[in-house]
Amino acid sequence: MGGDLGSRVATLLEAEAWVGSLVGIDVDPPRRRLRRAEFHLIPTHERDRMVDVITEFNPHVVVHLSVWEPESRASPRSAKTYTAQATTAILGAAAECRALEAIVHRSGTEVYGRARWAPTRPDEATRLDPTCEFGRTLASIEVTAAAVAKRAGVAVGAMRLAPVLGPHVPSPLGRLLRQPMVPFSALADSPYAVIEDIDAARAFVAAAARRLDEPVNVVAPQAVTMLQAILRGRRIPWPIVGPEWVLTRQICKILGAPIPDHVLELMHRGRLADGSRIEELLGITPLASTPEVIDRLHAWESVVRIVPDRSAVPGSVA
Amino acid sequence: MPAQVVQLPRRRARRPTGSVALDAPQATSSEPRPPSLVRPLPFLSRWYSVDDWGRDETLIRALGPLAWLRWDVSVGGQQHVPPSGPALLVANARRFSLSTVYASWALSREIGRPVRFVGRPDIAPIGPFMRRIGALLSSPAEVTTALRDGELVMISAKPTNHPRLVGAIDHELITGAVLHSTPVLPVATVSAPIGRATRVEVGPPVPRGKLRRGPLAEVELADATQHRLQKMLDELGGSRTGVAPLDWLGES
Repeated sequence: MGGDLGSRVATLLEAEAWVGSLVGIDVDPPRRRLRRAEFHLIPTHERDRMVDVITEFNPHVVVHLSVWEPESRASPRSAKTYTAQATTAILGAAAECRALEAIVHRSGTEVYGRARWAPTRPDEATRLDPTCEFGRTLASIEVTAAAVAKRAGVAVGAMRLAPVLGPHVPSPLGRLLRQPMVPFSALADSPYAVIEDIDAARAFVAAAARRLDEPVNVVAPQAVTMLQAILRGRRIPWPIVGPEWVLTRQICKILGAPIPDHVLELMHRGRLADGSRIEELLGITPLASTPEVIDRLHAWESVVRIVPDRSAVPGSVA
Repeated sequence: MPAQVVQLPRRRARRPTGSVALDAPQATSSEPRPPSLVRPLPFLSRWYSVDDWGRDETLIRALGPLAWLRWDVSVGGQQHVPPSGPALLVANARRFSLSTVYASWALSREIGRPVRFVGRPDIAPIGPFMRRIGALLSSPAEVTTALRDGELVMISAKPTNHPRLVGAIDHELITGAVLHSTPVLPVATVSAPIGRATRVEVGPPVPRGKLRRGPLAEVELADATQHRLQKMLDELGGSRTGVAPLDWLGES
């Protein structure tokens, strides 16, 4: 509930009539004003505290968003550790709750992998075959959640999100695209789709309300390639071929926009998914298409300037 | 001592141009957008983009004159292609003729809908390039997903050396059409190794045979489509370049 996506979901859940009370856990304080929700600041390694909070609350629905994308807020190794700790604690505690009806958890289109002859637009029935570390992490969450749901006899909905972009979402892809000069694969400028954080949050709320009991791809319509995204944002394209990528990744890391392996895979092999079932399963459609999300990504200002309002000071001249 | 209230100057947040409000989760795309500092280049927004499957209409249009230098395609029977919804088109193929490429491009132009063709390799740089010009992987799952999404998909029979013989049709690629009750249309293509004159003729949907519960349905449908294609090719005759030796060469 502390991160951008989590607090956005919490804000939407507070506005839902079917939601009675709401409790959230995170390692960071909420980034938005929450009016009804109760928040607990608990690090991921304090499993006992998490279990106590969750079992005491005894929820009907658990929305598990504690997934750290590599190089978003933590290094790949730390991201994997935090995600594993949070998943074990939250899903383990959820299984102990008698009132539990459904688990909704975050996953991603990375679980399908981009191996040779992998489908261009995998649908929900496609076999999971992750080919990057983040994909393997997400796939393990799906396996754990499915096992917990089976033992507890509750519904489990996996939200396979495309890369989430938003004004305050820490995303390695978004950070890279906003650099003045952006590398892309000259030999394979493959297409990919993304999702805006607002649409991702709406999908979570709809899944919780409907007690979703199967995976769903949450993907904005249409697609862009890396070169198209770069040109739309008036950045300088930096074509890269083969072994130059090793050096490029190091340079980008020094410049503050590291490229984790799942983003590199996206740039080389593309990342599309069939999102045609989102309306059938969740009753919503993404509001922004992929090119629109990319355009908004480039439109967000780096610094929000605040000027003093001197007209409010008594005796001052406006 | 009387209490003193010190009023600090209030700070007015200037809404940044192009920013998105933090607490606006219900924002919709229909709302007027604030002007942005970094606007996408207008010509890029309009036509430099790929569709859901990575097909680049701009690139195909750009390659049009180049394709015209090689193929002067005349299309017939396009009224059989449904104006909306999925359909599986099955074309014959002479070896190295790229029949699915010119047939899908010509049909797309005639009917105003993208026609995707099957048969791209999955290796850079050829694979990504062919994806941009509308190619899909030659996999039953890929064809099935595209048909379920309401796309027009063209597959080809096994290539033959003789231009008027139809090769076998991979029944596994037809599975999606059987599962989703999609019409299967034969597409006869005639071209010559030398010469630009090319013909693409779309036939009416191939009628289904007996109602089958298993994979015999697609095997029988593939056979029926092959027979229909052969009949269409026989009716079309051979290629006519106007130079008899070249025509003989094409028939050999």
